[in-house]
Amino acid sequence: MTEAVRNPRLHALGAASIELAEIVGGMGVLLARILVRIHKFDGEELVKNLYKMAVKSLPIVAVTALFTGAIMVIQAAVIVKRFNAEGLLGWGAGFGTLREIAPLLTALMISGRVGANNTAELGTMVVTEQIDALRVLAIDPIAFLIVPRFIAILATLVMMTLFADALALFGAAYTGQGLLGVEPMTFFNGLTGGLLDFGDVFNGLFKSFVFALVMALASCHFGLATKGGAPGVGRAVNASVVASAAGIFVLDYLVSFLG
Amino acid sequence: MSATTETHPDPSPPDATEGVEAELGFVGSIGAAFLDIAVAARELYSVFVRTLYYVFRGKRVKGAVLHQMNEIGVKSVAFICITMGFIGMILVYQSGLQAKRVVPDFTMLGATYLELLVRDFAASIGALMLATRVGAGIAAEIGSMVVTEQVDALRMSAADPIDYLVVPRFLASLVMTLALIVIAGTVAFCSGAATAYVFFDVRPDIFFNMQLVDVGDFLTGFTKCMAYGAAIPIVSSWCGLSTFGGSEGVGWATTRAVVNSSLAIIILNFFISAAGFLIFPG
Repeated sequence: MTEAVRNPRLHALGAASIELAEIVGGMGVLLARILVRIHKFDGEELVKNLYKMAVKSLPIVAVTALFTGAIMVIQAAVIVKRFNAEGLLGWGAGFGTLREIAPLLTALMISGRVGANNTAELGTMVVTEQIDALRVLAIDPIAFLIVPRFIAILATLVMMTLFADALALFGAAYTGQGLLGVEPMTFFNGLTGGLLDFGDVFNGLFKSFVFALVMALASCHFGLATKGGAPGVGRAVNASVVASAAGIFVLDYLVSFLG
Repeated sequence: MSATTETHPDPSPPDATEGVEAELGFVGSIGAAFLDIAVAARELYSVFVRTLYYVFRGKRVKGAVLHQMNEIGVKSVAFICITMGFIGMILVYQSGLQAKRVVPDFTMLGATYLELLVRDFAASIGALMLATRVGAGIAAEIGSMVVTEQVDALRMSAADPIDYLVVPRFLASLVMTLALIVIAGTVAFCSGAATAYVFFDVRPDIFFNMQLVDVGDFLTGFTKCMAYGAAIPIVSSWCGLSTFGGSEGVGWATTRAVVNSSLAIIILNFFISAAGFLIFPG
């Protein structure tokens, strides 16, 4: 101990690195444990989670997507006006929306709503010893609780991204008409005129799949690792949201290079 | 004020809400949702007005604002730097790819990027990151105080929780959001410049081109910083103060704080961007 205290900064750095390794390692182990049991999930629990995560998130995703599309057009508007290139508006707004902004913002919103809620729920179960109760009844908590949530989060985010893509383009088209006087037909021609193809949509969807993976693992890991009563649940939720957001941005960078 | 879609977190099992929906019918449930939004908007407005009142009239505990500035600002620096560094690399890489498909000319890449960064991306993406970190923290803290009845204890000692808890966070967030967004923009620009140099062979001195940034861009960006800095603590404190129901309630409050602050940012962004575009066109 005296060795470590002699250089407190180095000590703090080492502690932070070990903590980071612990989180990443914990998520990796959790992924392995989920994959081993992926075939024996609880169907009823899956449907319940899909309803709670996907159906209940629709209004928020819809509002976010419509406004995001509108913002993308406003940002592109200055450049479009400068070069007088109305025909390129659809392509300009569409490229950014499909490949980057729609998957990213949908992931951030779903991480706030679904990921945080998932951590809070699992954390509450841990601090009230419901997980231990499951073990006593010889029910595997990973197969019963985690696997359905994992599948539900993956499905939710990919579906929501597709939905957000459509709504964002819809919002963008009509903002373009209101703000720049570009007809929606011109907008959609710019979108489908050959500069964009299904590869761009697929790139966005692949991204959202990766985001969902890190979000599901982070929210389940921090939920299961909760300790220390009600404040512990708050801390776990905070840690899970921050880890998901950081993970989403880092992976976004890596996936952007692959596509 | 408008970010209130996620207003009714019902901790009761889904069967109960389904029962209510069946009772009210389809039109009734839409009406119930609107009533919820109206009530939430009024509460949010009340928190906002009382915060403004106590900013000028309240008595402040010495050091409370400084403590919150440390909590909100200094402790977010690392998180903001990492996320904005990556977003800077992604944005430049993507826009470089996009430019390559039309005009293979990268001389204006830096100028356009800097303009977008000043006008929108630094403030909006930075604030979204802050909403997750700061918003969740504020709501979890105030929420645990509510469920452990510490807020009631404050009221009993004739200290308004708004004055004692919300105002220091509000003032700290106003200052620190601006500071953090300036840092965020700088980090995103530098990582963008590095990306442009490595992938598109744009020299940093050509990349750093201020020619497209004008007063309108600065004013729009500054207005956004102020609006987000005010919105995040108000929305999150409101979510924290309306916590009920033990540790699960704290989890719910945190969730709502993150979602509602993000939504508030996106909606404010839309209105400020549209106003900026109409006031300073091109």
